[in-house]
Amino acid sequence: MSEIAEAVGDGVLPGRVWLYANYHCNLTCTYCLTESAPKVAKRELGAQRMLEVAAQARALGFTSLGVTGGEPFLLSYLTETIIEMAEMLPIVVLTNGTLFTRARLEEARGLTGAPVAIQISLDSADPVANDTMRGPENFRRVVAAIDALVARGVRVRIATTAEHIDEHELERLCQLHRGLGVADEDHIVRPILRRGRAIDSGLGVDTDLIDLPPELTITADGAYWSPFGPTVHGGRLDTDLLVSRTTSPLDKPANILLRLVQGRARGDDAKLDIR
Amino acid sequence: MELLDARRAPLLARPFFEGGDPGAIASAMAHVPEVLDATMPFLVQMFGPSALPARTKELVILRTSALLDCRYCIQSHSIAARDAGLAREEVLALRGDGPLGDQFTDRAERALLDWVDGVAGSTGPVPPEIGEALMSHFAEPDVIELTLLAGTTMMLNRFCTALGLPTSQAALARLAEDGLL
Ligand code: SF4
Repeated sequence: MSEIAEAVGDGVLPGRVWLYANYHCNLTCTYCLTESAPKVAKRELGAQRMLEVAAQARALGFTSLGVTGGEPFLLSYLTETIIEMAEMLPIVVLTNGTLFTRARLEEARGLTGAPVAIQISLDSADPVANDTMRGPENFRRVVAAIDALVARGVRVRIATTAEHIDEHELERLCQLHRGLGVADEDHIVRPILRRGRAIDSGLGVDTDLIDLPPELTITADGAYWSPFGPTVHGGRLDTDLLVSRTTSPLDKPANILLRLVQGRARGDDAKLDIR
Repeated sequence: MELLDARRAPLLARPFFEGGDPGAIASAMAHVPEVLDATMPFLVQMFGPSALPARTKELVILRTSALLDCRYCIQSHSIAARDAGLAREEVLALRGDGPLGDQFTDRAERALLDWVDGVAGSTGPVPPEIGEALMSHFAEPDVIELTLLAGTTMMLNRFCTALGLPTSQAALARLAEDGLL
């Protein structure tokens, strides 16, 4: 058993490896950690590399994968790649949910029954409030996509990113997702982090190393401590949570991450529940 | 070329920033933290205290840097050499701003400077008589360490020169004070 497998088994390292598929996005959300937008540098990982990371993660003893961006579904090869990755490890794919055209939904049938969850962002049960953060027509498109994916038997999770959420608002959201066929355990509420565009929008909570679970995160530019690490501000990639520029073979960044975790002062467990 | 500061220092690089600005070389290398992490202990060993006297080491470093015409290293090590006890005139001579022979009359130091010129001032083998002269004054482990020191300095010379690393304001002020700018 590898040292990494042991650390994952003992709960010293989280079991999930994240992959930043790309950085560009069709939306321009006000709190976006990666300053994603249609015209930014794509920083694409590529299908081949995503499959390599998945295979190496499995061989090392990691237990699941996450794919994020940018908007991963801008990549033509994404669904096919996810299906192949899911043969190696269970996977959650984060998306804004606005690109599920008829053709994409047809492709998504291949996800039915596979250990894949599509995690879609929906920030409010109020279309106006939601669309203020995420752009015009977002609410309508997202709700339609969730409905269509659930109808095709694809597991959908809903992620709500919010500065504050009161009980009444939360209840409205929960009614909405239940009505769409998404179970309570598949609804996540997480805070906005003060990184990326959130800094300029004056949103979010400050974070440091100890706030974030050490989830190995692979990007085209290097390996990071957490999926909240490889953020972009002022067009410049953040480096404060960079683990290593080397990402292959995966045991190299994984072992450095483990070394960093073991060097962290006792009691410095992750404080924010952000996934 | 962005020199990373403490705020942007990657995780493996953070310890090097704990005592303040670690200097341009570490701040540049911090972009590749795993390289910084592996390189700094080596550099600290090579350039820090060791079995060789600080004066001897600075002769090698400053002379090598002058031969490779590295502004950053010449400036930084003019200060280090002064701190190691070298006279201002010795520093100038090592930098090529005065005749070496006038300043360095000690036979061991002359043999060492000839060796450095052979290692860093040309390509190909160092003439055997220069090696023999060096060996008559220094023990074998010293020769190994001195040669590695010259080679390591050459690596840093090319790194700093190619990337155009800036000399710190504090170092420039000190050099100006000493008439070594
Ligand atoms: S938050 Fe997500 S959906 Fe919004 S711009 Fe960023 S990557 Fe795109």
